Amino acid sequence: MIKIFMDEEPVEVEEGTTVLKAAERAGIHIPHLCYHPAFPPEGSCRMCLVEIEGFPKLELACSTVVKEDMKISTKSARVVEARKAVLEFLLAEHPLDCPICDKAGDCKLQDYYDEYGLFESQFKEAKEKREKKLKIGKTLILDQERCILCTRCVRFLKEVTKTQELGVFHRGVHSSVNIYDGAAVVNNYTGNLAEICPVGAITDEDFRFKIRSWFLEEGESICPLCSRGCNILIEYHPGFPRFNVPKRVYRIKARENPEVNGFWLCDRGRYGYSYLDEGRADQIILNKIEGENVLTWENISEYLGKKIKSLSSAKKASGIALILHTWLSNEELFLLHEIFKKDLQVEKIFFADLPQGEGDEYLLTSEPSPNRRGAREIGFDIKTVDLDAMADGTDFLLAFGPFLSGLFSLKDLKDALSKIKRKVLFSSYSDEMNSLFDIVIPVALIAEKEGSLTNVDGIVQGFQPALEPPGESLPEWKVLADLGKELEMDARFYSEFPSPEKILTEMGKKIPFFKKKND
Amino acid sequence: MKEKVLTEHFGLENLYKIDVYQKQGGYRATEKALKKMKPEEILDEVKKANLRGRGGAGFPAGVKWSFVPDTDKPKYLCVNADEGEPGTFKDRYIMSHNPHMLLEGIIITSFCVGIHVAFIYIRGEYEAIALRLEQAISEAYAKGFLGKNILESGFDLDVFVHRGAGAYICGEETALLESLEGKRGNPRLKPPFPASVGLWQCPTVINNVETISNISHIILNGAEWFVKKGLPKDGGTRIFSVSGMVKNPGIYELPLGTSLKDIIFKHAGGMKGGKKLKAVIPGGMSAPILTADEINIKMDFDSLVEANSMLGSAAIIVIDDKTSILDVLKVVTKFYSHESCGQCTPCRIGNSWINKIVKRIADGKGKKEDIDSILRLASNIEGNTLCPLGDAAAMPILSITKKFRKELESHL
Repeated sequence: MIKIFMDEEPVEVEEGTTVLKAAERAGIHIPHLCYHPAFPPEGSCRMCLVEIEGFPKLELACSTVVKEDMKISTKSARVVEARKAVLEFLLAEHPLDCPICDKAGDCKLQDYYDEYGLFESQFKEAKEKREKKLKIGKTLILDQERCILCTRCVRFLKEVTKTQELGVFHRGVHSSVNIYDGAAVVNNYTGNLAEICPVGAITDEDFRFKIRSWFLEEGESICPLCSRGCNILIEYHPGFPRFNVPKRVYRIKARENPEVNGFWLCDRGRYGYSYLDEGRADQIILNKIEGENVLTWENISEYLGKKIKSLSSAKKASGIALILHTWLSNEELFLLHEIFKKDLQVEKIFFADLPQGEGDEYLLTSEPSPNRRGAREIGFDIKTVDLDAMADGTDFLLAFGPFLSGLFSLKDLKDALSKIKRKVLFSSYSDEMNSLFDIVIPVALIAEKEGSLTNVDGIVQGFQPALEPPGESLPEWKVLADLGKELEMDARFYSEFPSPEKILTEMGKKIPFFKKKND
Repeated sequence: MKEKVLTEHFGLENLYKIDVYQKQGGYRATEKALKKMKPEEILDEVKKANLRGRGGAGFPAGVKWSFVPDTDKPKYLCVNADEGEPGTFKDRYIMSHNPHMLLEGIIITSFCVGIHVAFIYIRGEYEAIALRLEQAISEAYAKGFLGKNILESGFDLDVFVHRGAGAYICGEETALLESLEGKRGNPRLKPPFPASVGLWQCPTVINNVETISNISHIILNGAEWFVKKGLPKDGGTRIFSVSGMVKNPGIYELPLGTSLKDIIFKHAGGMKGGKKLKAVIPGGMSAPILTADEINIKMDFDSLVEANSMLGSAAIIVIDDKTSILDVLKVVTKFYSHESCGQCTPCRIGNSWINKIVKRIADGKGKKEDIDSILRLASNIEGNTLCPLGDAAAMPILSITKKFRKELESHL
């Protein structure tokens, strides 16, 4: 560690760090446009200039490495003037079409103008005319007039995807970013370009003109669309008081995690968010229950517990069948394992997941479920559903997830399920197959609950609810913890589970693999 | 004592051929260096000679070489023959008249620094000269001055000619490296400097053609002799490229410290057609302009810095009183606006903006505040850009606008 002075305040920083990073650690934001922590400093936007004692010129914060006793001014009059000058240059050739720009509201140029500019334009010349809506990728639109040539997009494609679809063409004020000979940006990570563009030059048709960004709120979550477990931000609309918005979720963004996904997110994870809003089940459905009282979340575990308790112990092992999936959290799978496999010794435990897909050599894996590794570490042998074996001699089926209908035809499912007396489904979706079950209980998705997932590399990642679960939906872990209590298996054990966090702590005691997280 | 060093034999027919060159004592310096001197001795001699870079910045060559770290990585020499500074045309004369003098410098420099591959990055427009260099290189290979085990010294060297594609910015040393690597010629962020991280991330020496051409003479005649040819801190002669409204435009090799007035009125024959001197750009277009009253000045690095200008590439552009200063400013701003690589904000947009204002003034639509705008914008470019092109543009624009403000205002 060395000592430097940041705006006269002494700061201890690591040797070899840059002025910009040191400032950030000291809580000082130095404005920058071309610098992105994923890439080496570019030094072209000139926004991050700072004054360093002993240096005749202003120096770049993004690339200058700190030295012992360095005295840095980030807010001196000279620095502020230089930032203003850079903004004046950028805005001179900028179309200033914020009212129709999708980036308005989270545009760095707007933010910095607000902070350092607020000057009248002195530019009295004709602005350069360029392409305003070039389609450069499946959902990417490039506006060359808004582009400030920070080249983050060019560098992303050069250094991350290594596909190099974008380049800088022409020279001087005519410089512009473009694709080569009409060959579009095609890779699994195109959406990151719109995300890292600091201005409105690259916008995303998936989001473009649908909502103003300032209406959105964001919540942290983990992408469940493959086994990588990329960290994400879910941007959702909290709703207007007077009229309905057509959906909640408008955009998924990458959330930095150097261990898992760096700064990036694949296009599947980014654009495949319709599952959060479309076709959701939000009410408990009772199909063929006669003489039962109306079920609610409060008494559902009591109902299930009674059903299970009424079975003889031999019947418990062979008369109960379980269909699980690996969108369930570590904690939920653990409770299921404890109750059904360990205590009730249920033999018929199957899994219904999405079929294997195609991965790439970067983030996207071929496993389209987020927690198969977790299920294996907990002790499940992941067997895909065999309808005949599942239905044979079964009185009571507890099925989780919507994926059965993707694996079997409705007819086959109907034939198999008709052999079973009591069938209960926990699912987040309304589906034709739901009518085959006696009770359908709507459950929360990963984005709507608390828990943890184990990714393909064995990294256990916790998550908190980013969204409210719709209607009567609640997380599975709650009903399972209550069920454990109801079955009087280990009253103390189950009644001490008020939260997934506690469950995970308990898991750590029983399964060494899960201990890591709590150490 | 002979006056000229570099251009002494330029009048000789077929000097570019190796036989003729050798008859004049050519390649004796190479023999001396490779057979009788150690690399450290050569470095010492060049340092003592106070040979400063002839490309424009004037950085001492020996000091530059000594920055090359001792490493297992390959090292490279790049000779900057991109000669793009407006008004400068000395390197083309050296390369077309005496290519072997340059090659000798390349061999000795490479031997001194431990380099086995050298490039001559030549501007694309110099096609015929590039061919002449290629020819000279094959002659040198045939005579054993290039290739493996040169003069049985155990030293190997290959030399390649690389033609640029016509961008001014590729004369900036790091843009030159990018271009040589086959990329868009954008300057790199410094540090690291090319001496440690250069061509293909390896240590690289980059010197101007004229700088390298002096090396064989320093080796043959010694540092002391070289210093005497110029000034103590600034050894040797300088080839001045004189253009504009003079009777005899051309190159003049003169000792450093020769007065500007003498160069214009004695050597170049004075003003053409009896015109009156109005201004002089003393060191290539990037150098701040001097008015007619300011030409009583010694042409060396330090004297020009004192006069708030610079020796730069020693290209003297003479402007007469019939030339409108607005036209000069229009040419200057158009050039830098056109040649800005576009990488960094102040240079990309600032130069284009200033050029747009100047064009508007020339179209008779100038406004009162325009002159102040030009000064403000140029000051905002100066010192704030990624590479020296920003300063190279801002300096002449600021000096022209300040020194000829009245004349410019008459156009508003």
